[in-house]
Amino acid sequence: MDIPVIDIGNLPADPVAPDALLGIKRQQTNPKRWNEPVWADFATALTAAGVELIEQKFVTGTFATDAGGTAYGLPHGVVIAKDAAQISTLMSTAQRYRVPVTVRGGGLTTEGESVAFGGVLLDMTGMSRVLSIDAANLTVRTQAGIFWHSLAEVLRRENLDYLSAPLNMTSSVGGTIGVGGIDVNSARLGCSADQAIALQVVTPTGEIVECSDTQNTALFERMILGYGQFGVITEATLKVRPYQPIAMHYFYYTSLATAIEDLQMLDANDASDYSGILTMMDKVVNLLVAFDSDEREAAFKVDWLHRLRGHGELGISLRMGLYYALRPWRMREALYLRERKNTLFPEFRRPEHTRSGKMTDRTVVFSRAVWKHWGSRQMVIPDLATSSEKFIDATLKGNAVCKKYFRYYTLYCVGIKLRPEHTAHYEMSCIPPDAVTRAYGCEFEPMMGDLNAEDCYSRDTLQSFKNEIYDIGVGIGASYYRFGGMMKGYIRRVFGDEVVDRHLAMKRKADPNMILNRDVVF
Amino acid sequence: MMPLRSRTYTACSGCSLCLLSCPVWRNTHDIRLTPHGRAKAMQHGATAIDLAESLDSCTLCGACEPACPESIDLVGMVTGLRGELALQREATPPFDGVLPAPTGNISPPTMLIAEQSMSDNPGLLRSIIEQLGGDVAVSVSSDSGTDISIALSDGLPIPAERLEHFLAPLRTTLRVIVADGRLFYALKNWLHGVTIASLGEALSALPQVRSKLSDGDLYVIESVAFHRDHERLISHYDSLRLASGCSMNLDLQRMAVPTTASARAHGREFVEEQVRWILQGRAPTRIVVEDLADIPAFQRVADVPVIHVGALL
Repeated sequence: MDIPVIDIGNLPADPVAPDALLGIKRQQTNPKRWNEPVWADFATALTAAGVELIEQKFVTGTFATDAGGTAYGLPHGVVIAKDAAQISTLMSTAQRYRVPVTVRGGGLTTEGESVAFGGVLLDMTGMSRVLSIDAANLTVRTQAGIFWHSLAEVLRRENLDYLSAPLNMTSSVGGTIGVGGIDVNSARLGCSADQAIALQVVTPTGEIVECSDTQNTALFERMILGYGQFGVITEATLKVRPYQPIAMHYFYYTSLATAIEDLQMLDANDASDYSGILTMMDKVVNLLVAFDSDEREAAFKVDWLHRLRGHGELGISLRMGLYYALRPWRMREALYLRERKNTLFPEFRRPEHTRSGKMTDRTVVFSRAVWKHWGSRQMVIPDLATSSEKFIDATLKGNAVCKKYFRYYTLYCVGIKLRPEHTAHYEMSCIPPDAVTRAYGCEFEPMMGDLNAEDCYSRDTLQSFKNEIYDIGVGIGASYYRFGGMMKGYIRRVFGDEVVDRHLAMKRKADPNMILNRDVVF
Repeated sequence: MMPLRSRTYTACSGCSLCLLSCPVWRNTHDIRLTPHGRAKAMQHGATAIDLAESLDSCTLCGACEPACPESIDLVGMVTGLRGELALQREATPPFDGVLPAPTGNISPPTMLIAEQSMSDNPGLLRSIIEQLGGDVAVSVSSDSGTDISIALSDGLPIPAERLEHFLAPLRTTLRVIVADGRLFYALKNWLHGVTIASLGEALSALPQVRSKLSDGDLYVIESVAFHRDHERLISHYDSLRLASGCSMNLDLQRMAVPTTASARAHGREFVEEQVRWILQGRAPTRIVVEDLADIPAFQRVADVPVIHVGALL
């Protein structure tokens, strides 16, 4: 292994050490804040080079945490992205002064990956313009800080849509390409990162490079699902498709395993255009299935509907009624489920987002519901990503952990179609190495209340919960969507020394002073 | 019933949903000039002076509020801080001490508070009055409340005597129809037992208006009143859209994209950029607006007839 030597002081003593967590009860790797006297010289040089550096505390404080709300850190200064040339100047200057740069899109990380523990916070949302749409070839070129929702707004005016994107309107394109991006059509269309045809990247040393499957391929491999270690994505060319409203169907299960079996059966047979599981604990397991066209929906009804073992709304209500009638001591849980159903179900059927029985804006509907009914000041969403074969086992084990820690929680399961020609992209990513054709992911999210609420948990409780979920992954050979930041202690345990050392060597070569997104992975 | 938005900046979790429909965000992509940026800055000690540029830039269109999952009073946050800013800037209040002439025909069932600029088009105003009233008398308030609207926008105190002069005749009516979105919301809080409707809603509810809209029309909703009563009005406009086939200045979240022509925050270039965004990918044969100020804004950019919704009558 040829790992370039770096001066002591520029790196943590032992990044991603295999034993870094031993003996530390909290098992958490919050990084030390970078705080070097060179900042003043750097700030002067950067400003002299024409880059606006914002150092007011109330602005740097805007970026103090991420969507997770459990990692806190303050940058010394903020740069709002304008264009690739400006970011090039930032990176080359930062490299010269060895100042860390943390890149942030929508800030929807949960483990502090987009939180700057000192140094510069680069706010990519400043680059949020759609540059061009090629309707004939179904592609779009966009600045990478744009939210997927803002991209959808522009595409819709041309009656186009993106292929797949996180069900969260404020995820950014660049951030998503860096980590994956899962939609309820990912079992058919793959993760969002696989939509990228070409990228403009500013490297950690400040070069502006265009890369794709045919141009600067090595860089392209590392940018897709690369957790932002090898460059800043400034522009992206993405595949798009004609816009279609979708016909939704919901099936309700009382068995998680049965629902997953049915999900995987549908995915394996390409029986639907959208599929996923969303649960209320493991009591009400909702398999959602949806279609882009009447033809696909009709074929599903003929060929696959009768094979699904889920129930309709009335069926599940009767079963739940009977279940809790026989268990009156669990009435509180029953009331919670009823209240949850009464508030959630109408959200998914809002008339202004429904036309002729079809949902017109799935991301708006889902994202608003997510923030309104799942979001809170803290969000902890550990996950497991496995091969198809291991998925039921992983999910059931994770569910048992959820039950141990929390009264109320939810699971979100979805398949991810893989592109064989992109196998190299998947190394050391959320795609598990043993997955073939399709991987599966499950997110485990406790329902948390506001401060002083009964369902408010300490940081240690949340961290222990995450560790138990991640330990399952180590045990069965899974991967994770969120393995960076506070959870990076698991990286070597999951991917092994050989892979991690190889990536570390590449990182050191590309980023000599290890300034870009430090402490996210390395 | 409008949702209660009593939470303050402290509740902001930084989800950024407020950015998605914010016209200032769309034009600047500078988070400091957004509700998210202001709330987070205040959580980290910012004062009104620190936020002066951000506060001045807000158009008060209110699109951020229905989007906020924390139900924060985002518009109230801006106007409150503007009030603090005005004190420090020693701003001149919009009140000159002269009270408008009293409105005649006291106690009509319906009172219309029209925009001041509507008096320049007496034919339009007369037509609106006739159609709104039907068999019932409609009076036009001689007090447009423009100074009160400005004070509300700027967070300035309204002298009690001035406010009472404005409200007294309105209390005797059953229904108030108001063109100014900012007054619409304030009146909902000030007048209990009186039905308050925006002029846009009142006109677009008329069958004779609905029947004259078609799929070639772009219907431009006045954004301030719409967002202030979003949960209720979204159904109203959705049914209008379904019935007529017209397109609307609604984004995917069903917020109304504002031209911001009525706001005093930005110049002509900003307004025209908003108008271009509303028109992008659309090819209307006619543009129908609820806010008179939008007519010149669209006329500068679009090459099709632009009319007030009242002119459909």
